[in-house]
Amino acid sequence: MATLIDAPPPTVAAPISKSAGGGLGRYILIRFLLIFPTIFILVTLVFFLMRITGDPITAAQGGRLPQEQIDALVHQAGYDRNLFIQYIEYLGHIATGNFGRTISDGRPVVEMLVKFGAATLELSINAVIVALLVGIPLGMFAAHKRDKVPDAVLRMFAILCYATPVFFAGLLLKLTFSVGLGWFPVAGRASTTTELAMGRLAAPTGVYWLDALRSGNLAAFGDIVHHAVLPAVALGLLTAGVFLRLVRTNVIGTLGRDYVEAGRSRGVSEYRLVTKHAYKPALIPIITVMGLQIALLLGGAVLTETTFEWKGLGYQLAQYLTARDFVAVQGIVMLLAVIVAITNFVVDIAAALIDPRVRY
Amino acid sequence: MTKSTKALRSAIALAGVSAFALTACTGPSGGGGGGSTASENASSVIAYGTTDKVTALDPAGSYDNGSFMVMNQIYSFLLNSKPGGADPVPDLAESSSFTKPSEFTVKLKSDLKWANGHVLDSKDVKFSFDRQTAINDPNGPASLLSNIDSIATPDASTVVFTLKNANDQTFPQILTSPAAPIVDDEVFPADKLLSDEEIVKANAFHGQYIIDSYNKNTLVSLKAWPDYKGVLGKPANAGATIKYYTDQTNMKLEVKGGQIDVAGRILSATDIDDLKKDSNVTVHLGPGGEMRYIVFNYDTMPYGAKAPEADPKKALAVRQAVADLIDRQAISDQVYKGTYLPMWSNVPSGFVGANESFKQAYGDGSGKPSLDKAKKVMSDAGISGPVTIKLQYNPDHYGKSSGDEYAMVKDQLEKSGLFTVDLQSTEWVTYNSASKKDSYPVFQLGWFPDFSDADNYLTPFFVGGGFMNNHYSNPEVESLIAKQLVTADKAEREKTIQEVQNLLAKDISTLPLLQGAQVAVSGTKVKGVDSTLDASFKFRLGTVSK
Repeated sequence: MATLIDAPPPTVAAPISKSAGGGLGRYILIRFLLIFPTIFILVTLVFFLMRITGDPITAAQGGRLPQEQIDALVHQAGYDRNLFIQYIEYLGHIATGNFGRTISDGRPVVEMLVKFGAATLELSINAVIVALLVGIPLGMFAAHKRDKVPDAVLRMFAILCYATPVFFAGLLLKLTFSVGLGWFPVAGRASTTTELAMGRLAAPTGVYWLDALRSGNLAAFGDIVHHAVLPAVALGLLTAGVFLRLVRTNVIGTLGRDYVEAGRSRGVSEYRLVTKHAYKPALIPIITVMGLQIALLLGGAVLTETTFEWKGLGYQLAQYLTARDFVAVQGIVMLLAVIVAITNFVVDIAAALIDPRVRY
Repeated sequence: MTKSTKALRSAIALAGVSAFALTACTGPSGGGGGGSTASENASSVIAYGTTDKVTALDPAGSYDNGSFMVMNQIYSFLLNSKPGGADPVPDLAESSSFTKPSEFTVKLKSDLKWANGHVLDSKDVKFSFDRQTAINDPNGPASLLSNIDSIATPDASTVVFTLKNANDQTFPQILTSPAAPIVDDEVFPADKLLSDEEIVKANAFHGQYIIDSYNKNTLVSLKAWPDYKGVLGKPANAGATIKYYTDQTNMKLEVKGGQIDVAGRILSATDIDDLKKDSNVTVHLGPGGEMRYIVFNYDTMPYGAKAPEADPKKALAVRQAVADLIDRQAISDQVYKGTYLPMWSNVPSGFVGANESFKQAYGDGSGKPSLDKAKKVMSDAGISGPVTIKLQYNPDHYGKSSGDEYAMVKDQLEKSGLFTVDLQSTEWVTYNSASKKDSYPVFQLGWFPDFSDADNYLTPFFVGGGFMNNHYSNPEVESLIAKQLVTADKAEREKTIQEVQNLLAKDISTLPLLQGAQVAVSGTKVKGVDSTLDASFKFRLGTVSK
């Protein structure tokens, strides 16, 4: 769940002392080194928690085969061995880049991560586009109409956006615009024809709209965008609410600053004040917040993908969890952990560059 | 209007236009299986949807409905069944028979080839079965081949199976089962699984279809293969797509909207009930082999052998009274909306030898419950007060409706005043092992057959203690089961199977409740769905057209 972000207005950066440069280097190094224990802890937790929930053979064959036969298969697969030994083996494998094959359907994990990661990346990009298209203009408009009816309505809208569970928003959008009005497809990333066309491309990136554009297939591109709208809106609104509040607060804060007042007293037009003096500074925190939203987006993607049959990492994670497929779940969680850790690292660095006080 | 207001409005308008443009670049209507850019045969390409999943296209690596459904389109078997029935008939075989009690000989058709041009002969057949056993994959069906001792190939068109147990009447059915698709020995490795992508790339198919495009568990495109020589003949369509769903509601909405032509497995009873009222679609019901039943643990049930007041007669009376009180029709109607039908024996109706032994023996004799009979059984056994039954069910393995099903069982039993039911549920991973370790005195189980033969509902359950481990043993039952297994005379075998069922109904080791129907939903213009919903439980896309 998103947190209400009414960030303080941008402050004038403190003068950078000589030691600040050394501080930045140390800061970057520490932040970089923190990535590894973060991932390690997560991977360890997932390893042990997955094994508590049962093994994939029992999940698949329980009820069909006699218990002795299941026990024999579990033994043959090595799932009854000492857990710590399995853990050490697992760490050894990932240290050498061997992520293995999924247990339930035998896919190479790396291949699976690349393929479905591309779908999740596409959904996340689409969601960010929606968040920016909705959040920024509406935030500016709310700031402009401060304390008037449109502002109140938009603030309520923002609260609704980040307070509504993403699966509920998705379901509501689907019922309204797909089932009710028939404007958008119910599910999937593309129609069957387009899916087949994407599958036949020589070197697809896996991001459908990009592949469609690269191959010059505009009809497919349109179809892909058509399918992308509802999932992107469902997921994007989550972040749009945060952006709306953030932009509104920052624009209001900036418009009240001395230099803006000074400009106003010099007769600079309100238009120039907003676009030149308030608009740009108000957007800088968006960059920081966008990074922080990545984990939220990935979490939301799991639910959105399932609602809209968007076959990305979140969708697959749900499938593999049900099958107790250790190898697949570990691979997906590790990739998500790496993405979140690296994003946070980049955000920390960006924040430190924007505001040197962060380094201390 | 001030300039700043204009600017802001312009910015918002621009964003709005951008957002609209994003939604407006829609191109074709999307979502359909046959858009304008589809192949020239689009109108005869069938779009099938399912919530099942493919584990592996390699027959040695999967033993599930989702994988087997695809295999049935792209591989052939020595024996198969024609749409409309489950009797094994020659597929790749020209003929097959027991040439000795322990020898089953198959002659192959001549000039068989794989889609990739490789020769298909007896070597491929021996290879296919040998590798199943050698790989013995945890997800695979190798256990079904346990009666094969060895396989000989005297010439390129002859295969001789030597069986451990002679006259195994289920063997022809085994040859139609998930363990028996024939694979190309020049493509598949003998000791390990081949990935789906490599199978598709090698074009290692001999079926009504070949795979044209494969996106695992997302979209599979099949193209009719003109050189197919099996029993199923030429498909009624030019090709098919199989679209995979996780959310059954999405599948339901897409079949309603015409984005897919047929929705196969699996829709909920509520969805099917809803679709029955929709004039745009047709709901097809066929015989099903799935069974749902209650197991009595002979040791731990009330008055069971290891219960504090152990008394075999009272234990039997409890089982009989439960059998008298259960209203299967009410469960079928109210919980499953007719997608599961009352089941009156351990062998589902539709199978050779199936009778309705429980219907005659319990309740009012016509399928309805009888409180009077239950009361009499209990009082005759000297049971006075209400008996407490600890009843377990599983909420995640047999579908979401299990909770409603067992709530109804509890209600039916408690309304009689003869029982107090302590209803509990446990997640599958724990449930499955705990049920076999005497943890549950009375509990729910379900069964889907490995192959379409009555024996698959008998041997695994009631021979050598059975997989349920409920401590039931009846030498007479075991002897009759062994007899029917090797009785070549069909009428004689049928009679023996009926005797087994009658004995089982007397003992009530398990109480059969419901038999699942096969359900498919199609557009009203789609033909041929009914003819594939038969007792073989094989959905053949080749029968479907529009």
